[in-house]
Amino acid sequence: MIQLSREPVAQALLGARGIAKRFGPVEVLRGIDLELRPGRILTLMGENGAGKSTMFRILAGQLQPSAGELTLNGESLRLASPHAAHAHGIHLVPQEPLLLPELTVAETMFLGRLPMTGAIFRHVDWKDVRRRAQAVLRMLDLDIDIDSCAKTLSLAQLQLVECAKALLHDCRIILFDEPTSPLTSHEVDNLFVIMRRLAADGCTLSFISHRTEEVLEISDDIAVLRDGRLVDSAERGSFDRARLLSTMVGRTLRDIPRRESSYVTEQTVLEVDGLASEPSFRRIGFQLRRGEILGLAGLVGAGRTEIAETIFGVRRPTAGSVRLAGETVTSKPCHDLIRKGLVYVPEDRARHGAVLSMTIAQNVTSGLLERVRQSAGLLSDADETRLGATAVRDFRVRCAGLDQPLRELSGGNQQKVVFSKWIATGPKVAILDEPTRGVDVGSKEEIYELIEAMARDGMAVLVISSETEELVRLCDRVLSLYEGELVAELTGDQINPAAVSASYLGSAHAEGAP
Amino acid sequence: MSVSPTVGATPGDDLTMAKRRRRLFSLGGWELSLLVLLIIVTTSFGLGVPGFFDNLSGFLAMTSNFLPFGIVALGLSLVIFTGGIDLSVGATASLAAVVAAQLWATMGLNIWVASLLGLAMGGLLGGINAAVIVLLRIEPLIATLATSFIYTSAAVAVAGDSPPSGFPDAFNNMGSGAMAWGSFQFPYQLLIFIPLAVLFWLLVTRSAFGRKLVTVGYNSEAARYSGIRVPRVLAAAYVISGMMAALAGLVLSAYYSAARADMGDVLLLTTIAMVVLGGVSIFGGEGRMGGVIVAVLLLGLLRQGMLIAGFSDMVTSMLTGAILIGSIAIRNIFSTRVGGFGKRLLALIRRPAIAGPDATRHDAP
Repeated sequence: MIQLSREPVAQALLGARGIAKRFGPVEVLRGIDLELRPGRILTLMGENGAGKSTMFRILAGQLQPSAGELTLNGESLRLASPHAAHAHGIHLVPQEPLLLPELTVAETMFLGRLPMTGAIFRHVDWKDVRRRAQAVLRMLDLDIDIDSCAKTLSLAQLQLVECAKALLHDCRIILFDEPTSPLTSHEVDNLFVIMRRLAADGCTLSFISHRTEEVLEISDDIAVLRDGRLVDSAERGSFDRARLLSTMVGRTLRDIPRRESSYVTEQTVLEVDGLASEPSFRRIGFQLRRGEILGLAGLVGAGRTEIAETIFGVRRPTAGSVRLAGETVTSKPCHDLIRKGLVYVPEDRARHGAVLSMTIAQNVTSGLLERVRQSAGLLSDADETRLGATAVRDFRVRCAGLDQPLRELSGGNQQKVVFSKWIATGPKVAILDEPTRGVDVGSKEEIYELIEAMARDGMAVLVISSETEELVRLCDRVLSLYEGELVAELTGDQINPAAVSASYLGSAHAEGAP
Repeated sequence: MSVSPTVGATPGDDLTMAKRRRRLFSLGGWELSLLVLLIIVTTSFGLGVPGFFDNLSGFLAMTSNFLPFGIVALGLSLVIFTGGIDLSVGATASLAAVVAAQLWATMGLNIWVASLLGLAMGGLLGGINAAVIVLLRIEPLIATLATSFIYTSAAVAVAGDSPPSGFPDAFNNMGSGAMAWGSFQFPYQLLIFIPLAVLFWLLVTRSAFGRKLVTVGYNSEAARYSGIRVPRVLAAAYVISGMMAALAGLVLSAYYSAARADMGDVLLLTTIAMVVLGGVSIFGGEGRMGGVIVAVLLLGLLRQGMLIAGFSDMVTSMLTGAILIGSIAIRNIFSTRVGGFGKRLLALIRRPAIAGPDATRHDAP
């Protein structure tokens, strides 16, 4: 093996004991124990939202744990900042490491730590920069020009530059935050070659992935997270694909209450045919019937939100058509669609879903102001109060009063207000994008009941969710999406956690296999 | 359609109905503070400066010196509510007034007909601003800066070597005249401003258009996703701003009985100061029309009082700047986001008793 460092290898063993992290009332990590050992590659696996990235950000000093402690070679370690982590030799390679596109490769590698020279006139020692950058790239056998601009490199190359950067600054612990998902399989191979070489040289490596095949290929140790808990961790040898999938999904053991009643009718209200919006998704076709709850499953970035936005008319389609109640509405603007009975509850409430600075009553009526009675062109205060009060009562919004700014409500109550805003317009079709995002556990069930009630009242509902459990709980039918294409359709008993997760993770492994 | 989940108790209606205020002429803490300041300023000038308040007619007559600013401020605040800015109000005022005056002078049009065309011209110029902003996607600051250069040059070109002057008395009255009931005189400018102020107040606080305007200002993306036609709302705001600027230009030319191409130049900065002091956030959404109206009177009367008291224009301008910085600083310190300005002020005074409204706040993750 090639010896990468000039001096005897300083080995680093990074440990985590009982790490917990909460954001407000939401617990994202609970009691995580990990051991990152020198010369080995530890993989963190888990579904969307299992807490993998949060764990990495804690290890890299970007977040402070709410409880628990980190250790380095047995000694307690407190990482107050990313800078502190770097000083202890911990380097996090972000998934898309394009920070300053105009800098050259050499400058990127020395960012923030440029060597200075000169006794009187202190200046950057560019000669040294170039020499050392060149040397480390050569060590890693990387064919990258140190003078090329960062923006001209591919994501794969940028990730490799990040590896080189870690070595350059004597970082012996390198964390990769889901590096492979944007890469082609050939690029993944290249990355793995470098990772193996670093491990052989005694570096401590850890990476995040969804793809079972590549995890089994590259890992020495595997740790599986689910709902913020460490559910399984062992050496690679004791895992096979089946065990990985079932521990990741985990809920095969636990029964999720499925809906007993279905309100599906024969009447099709939304027809999507060959819809595409390159480069996000293509060839999307499905029908949605009155009273049906249809789920859209897939990894983050599979194109689900983009599909919703295209149907809703806020994103341009590049091909295909959308028909709402028999009428072609392809690329009609959203204000038209809302009047025709199609509404969309966006994923990002603060940006798209609601105006948090405005009051509850104002948010309730913002969907269709025409509904508020007017006299002489002025909105009737009494009528708005009535509409607001009805919404607050029907949707059981917990608030201090209708004039309270939406910002002051909890996530769950905010979401109920957004729901009420749209349901009050009497839509035929509702698209709900991550309807329980940022909603506390207690309110989730209330939101589910609302969605069921919508179907019961004859709405057709499309639910986009990264939470398998949510889809299983709600849906009559589930479509699986992988990298912008539909890959599976599940109905009836097929809708169980293992099958739903496998439907898109399975595709991930097929594609990701080198 | 009614969706009513069946589980659990419904919260009491008394809670949800709690304290819906009548908003027709409601004033928030900030607007009340401005109003108190206005009363203090007026009273102290009235008592301390001879000539400021000799009689009501004289006092009211003073407003003719600053109400053109107020007219522009009404229109401009609509634009600022959307989170934009209109730097072309001065140039628009000049160009519209000069065009109207030339139509009267060279084409022999009736002065009132010419004035109506001038107003339409203002709307058109505002429409051009909106088109540049919406269609060419140029930042409002840059778009209206650019058009203000164009409009100013156009005004100079239209005005020619000898700007039109000597309008009919009926027209001049609009700028400097007053209606008389015996010895009591009521300036025509005030007669124009008061209904407009009420109209704009209602427009912003009570109309559907006003609601859309504020929604766009707070969050234009969310407004779009709510089905509000954002470009249309923006266009309306700039067109109205242009028309108000044109009206101010016409009033100014009546005031001077001449239409000069540089007449509107003074309007811009003072008007922005009025809108901002009135409490409208330059980032959009936040603020009330009532505050703008009070701020117009406050800055206007303050300036008049200072001038009558013998201070130079220079000192008055300095004071205006200082007030602007001071007031906005105070406003930021008592950030209105939680509890409102008044509550925060009270909380500060009775400090120990206050747990703070923050204790119950949940921020969206």
